[in-house]
Amino acid sequence: MGNTLIKIAVPVIGLAAALVIALVGYFVVQSWWSQPPAVLGFGDGPTQPIAFPHTVHVTTAGLDCQFCHRTVSTDEAAGVPAVAQCRFCHDFTRITGEQSESPTAEAEIAKLIGDLIEGPDPVNWARVHRLPDHVQFVHAPHIQQGFSCSTCHGDIASMEVVEQVRNLKMRDCVDCHRNNEAPTDCTTCHY
Amino acid sequence: MATRAQTQPKPPAHKWGMVIDLDRCTGCQACVIACQAENNVPINDEKSFLDGRVIEWIRVERYWEGDFPDVKARFLPVLCQHCDNAPCESVCPVYATYHNNEGLNVQVYNRCVGTRFCGNNCPYHARLFNYWEPVWPEDLRNQLNPDVTVRTRGIMEKCSFCIQRIRRATRGGKKVEDQAFNPACVQACPTDAMTFGDLLNEDSRVSRMWEDERAYRVLEALGTNPSVKYLKQVDADA
Repeated sequence: MGNTLIKIAVPVIGLAAALVIALVGYFVVQSWWSQPPAVLGFGDGPTQPIAFPHTVHVTTAGLDCQFCHRTVSTDEAAGVPAVAQCRFCHDFTRITGEQSESPTAEAEIAKLIGDLIEGPDPVNWARVHRLPDHVQFVHAPHIQQGFSCSTCHGDIASMEVVEQVRNLKMRDCVDCHRNNEAPTDCTTCHY
Repeated sequence: MATRAQTQPKPPAHKWGMVIDLDRCTGCQACVIACQAENNVPINDEKSFLDGRVIEWIRVERYWEGDFPDVKARFLPVLCQHCDNAPCESVCPVYATYHNNEGLNVQVYNRCVGTRFCGNNCPYHARLFNYWEPVWPEDLRNQLNPDVTVRTRGIMEKCSFCIQRIRRATRGGKKVEDQAFNPACVQACPTDAMTFGDLLNEDSRVSRMWEDERAYRVLEALGTNPSVKYLKQVDADA
């Protein structure tokens, strides 16, 4: 009796263990090589301190990326606008009544006002796009060569919560540099 | 997977070089401080000097000549000479240091595994090893240069001719005017003793000084063919 149980249990447990190891292995290799598979929320973007919808600002309001990310064509970083710049528009739209009146939107926009005397603190946005270590990425030359933001960032205009769509690993960068005859010397990015 | 386009290597656009006029050098160490600030070089204290664990990408060597009171101080600022025939490059087992097509001897930090062969083989002692994780005082953390990697423990580092400034100036194949930008040491030099520029540009200041009759290279007999030349100090009473 006991023997039959063992005879059945051993291969079942063995198979289950092999399956778990294979799955974990796949997950680790995939994460290392590219991006974590989009399961159990691993592919999702981080939760931001203000639920800023790019959808509304790009599609409804019709803003260009560079309207807010102003230094993208001149500097290393694309630049995140100051709270004052958010306020500039939102104070205006509140008066003209162009602003969404849904309570959730109101609550999010109210975070821009902050303390009435001290003013709002800079927003502590969560970083979405992560490059590997020891890389100096500069936005300016890529924009100047005529690449659109969506080449690397995907269709941000349709993202309610921004997430990273491209793995942005070295192989990804070097392939693109080779195809566009961009420099592939190590010190193009590593210094 | 994208296909890889095979491209012919382009002819070099630049050959960066430096000339240091020892007649002008007063040994003030401004270059050392400027380099330290620009390149996130860790701060050296007395102990690190005594231990021989100093990290400085440029140092001013001092030599006394003659006996007191007829004594002369000779100063020699020594940085990575960016040798065209670099002894450090051939001994790196992981290709972390190599010569790029702009005449720079390049250190790739993320490839370095810290064998220290290159430092051993450098006749100028221009390569420095991170024996410890670099630490800055809390109130200095915000002055780190974001354009330069902070090197971790266990890797080699050295003067890069301020490659971050070169990259910024030449980005996208831009043409650069002579003297449009300078490494931090050159910029800081109060007596204008250091000159940096493109040796392929015949009109550049550094190209003209390159052929000066006072010009020599340090340890020239080794045949390392450095990209840094020194102009000999000439004494009026000699």
